[in-house]
Amino acid sequence: MDEQVCPRCKTTKYRNPSLKLMVNICGHALCESCVDLLFLKGSGSCPECNVPLRRSNFRVQLFEDSMVEKEVDIRKRVLRDFNKKEEDFSTLREYNDYLEEVETIILNLTNNVDVITTNKKIEQYKKENKDVILKNKSKIGREEMELEELLEEEKQQGEVRKKELVKLEQEEKKKKIREKEALIDELMFSNADAKNILETFANNVQAAKEEVKQVPVVKATHFSTGIKFGHQRQQSFLSVPKIEEGPLYMYEAPRQPTDGPLPPTWSDLEVKGYVNHVEHEKDEHRAGGYRANISCLRALQEALAGLYHVSDRTDLAS
Amino acid sequence: MEDKLKRYEKVEFLGEGQFATVYKARDSVNDTIVAVKKIKLGSRAEAQDGINRTALREIKLLQELKHPNIINLMDVFGHKSNVSLVFDFMDTDLEVIIKDNNIVLTPANIKAYLLMTLQGLEYLHINWILHRDLKPNNLLVNSNGVLKIGDFGLAKFHGSPSRVYTHQVVTRWYRAPELLFGARMYGAGIDMWAIGCILAELLLRVPFLPGDSDLDQLTRIFQVLGTPTDETWPNVKELPDFIQFKTFPGTPLRHIFTAAGDDLLDLLAHLLSISPLDRCNCHEALQAPYFSNKPAPTQGSQLPIPSSICRSDDHEKPNLKRKLLETADGGCISLKIAQTKNELFGG
Repeated sequence: MDEQVCPRCKTTKYRNPSLKLMVNICGHALCESCVDLLFLKGSGSCPECNVPLRRSNFRVQLFEDSMVEKEVDIRKRVLRDFNKKEEDFSTLREYNDYLEEVETIILNLTNNVDVITTNKKIEQYKKENKDVILKNKSKIGREEMELEELLEEEKQQGEVRKKELVKLEQEEKKKKIREKEALIDELMFSNADAKNILETFANNVQAAKEEVKQVPVVKATHFSTGIKFGHQRQQSFLSVPKIEEGPLYMYEAPRQPTDGPLPPTWSDLEVKGYVNHVEHEKDEHRAGGYRANISCLRALQEALAGLYHVSDRTDLAS
Repeated sequence: MEDKLKRYEKVEFLGEGQFATVYKARDSVNDTIVAVKKIKLGSRAEAQDGINRTALREIKLLQELKHPNIINLMDVFGHKSNVSLVFDFMDTDLEVIIKDNNIVLTPANIKAYLLMTLQGLEYLHINWILHRDLKPNNLLVNSNGVLKIGDFGLAKFHGSPSRVYTHQVVTRWYRAPELLFGARMYGAGIDMWAIGCILAELLLRVPFLPGDSDLDQLTRIFQVLGTPTDETWPNVKELPDFIQFKTFPGTPLRHIFTAAGDDLLDLLAHLLSISPLDRCNCHEALQAPYFSNKPAPTQGSQLPIPSSICRSDDHEKPNLKRKLLETADGGCISLKIAQTKNELFGG
């Protein structure tokens, strides 16, 4: 295995055990102190290939071969745009072709083959598939959000459990104090034999302990299964409340007691010619939604309403 | 009159509008909660007849109306120069429900709300009354899930041939196109349009046509329904404020309301007909297949309400819980000591 060497200052892992090699997008390594020195201003060019680099893009080299590092970087960048999924293709073959194309692009870029044409290809693809890229990006974002939500929930669950435990402990303490006080009270005020009292209390405590031993087990299982976490997680929508269905609606025309002869209906107005006795509506009014038969019907209804009405107050008539 | 002022004890300030302040009050006679709407005196011009016109309208119309889906005017009383109207107390309104993100409105819920609104409105229209200000904010809902049409400040009798009406009615977002074109003679269609907008808002959970000016309002309408032509809206050019708009082709409602069923889209298209004479009336709307089809409208008590309002039967629970906690948490020791002390020294 080759010794790790910084290509600029030639420091080796042997001479500087804390040597950390960093790589940037061009794939050439530099040690941490060289990065600090060269990129003091935040940006500069790679001492080996003169590609302009930013300091913030440097990261610790994970793989020994810096080419791998470079490929990882390029892959990340390319896959950000080439983010189609299998669902986006109608046949498996098309999907495979697409994957192959992506691999070729990555290979070309890592090995500096046809860089210009490949970059052009990427640009073109970006333009053509703008919508799909955006859609898939948001989809991935949503998936990440869901994962985060899941983690958050787990955290909460843990906290709730912790609280429950603290509460249980406190209760236990309180209970002990209460028992002690009860015993003292009993000893203070009871006339019975002190020995007997002590014995009964000891027995009670023993029994209670046995009971308690069983309880936490039940509680624990109940707790881990009983809490309804993740109920809302499955969908980010609110759950739809289940409601038993009422009866279906049936239309019933409202009945208006008119206390008079039945007024004509809408259709009667035209058929029986009532409308002819009313001033005809103008075009302008018709456009506004007004028809002469509206006032016609209203006038008729009002004329007929109450004709059969008999007044209770007969004294008025006399 | 003096004792009526005492009869209703103010509980809480609820809100203030342009013409009135509303209080929650307790009716001391039969111990019920009511809403008292105290009419502001307003400027002299508004009150030239001695009383504010909106109040007068409301009193005049509501006194004769009785329907489960119309707000009930229970009492009117005056004090000095004030007039107060006493109504049923309503917990919330449809606007609050639509805006509450914690509420899921199922298709059955929407059907129930729309049904109650239309039944109330049918009653109004049968009695020749146009509400002229229908919007979610004026559809009041109580904790039992009963919806009542409220705020009759703009309501008016219609169907007199000689009378012209103002077109400056209805909150803009719910204003029908004929009103925006300045029609002075109109019919029940303007209320039906508003119902269509409310239904759309129930589905979308945001205002359907939130225009920021009258022109913008018309543009938005035509973008959805297409610019009217002489075929789709006969004589539209005769309307006083008619302006020729750019021709929009319109958007199919199906593309806007992707989750709505065919029966619902059908009703919506009828409610939002661009020509007022093509618009369906309440009678026709209520007979639409949408209402008789499944899912059945949700029963009142199961309709969602904002969490800030608790249903009347939930009141007892927290108290009971606290009591249980108190008894479990110590307290018994001192009690026991006190008891024994009493036994020792008292007896």
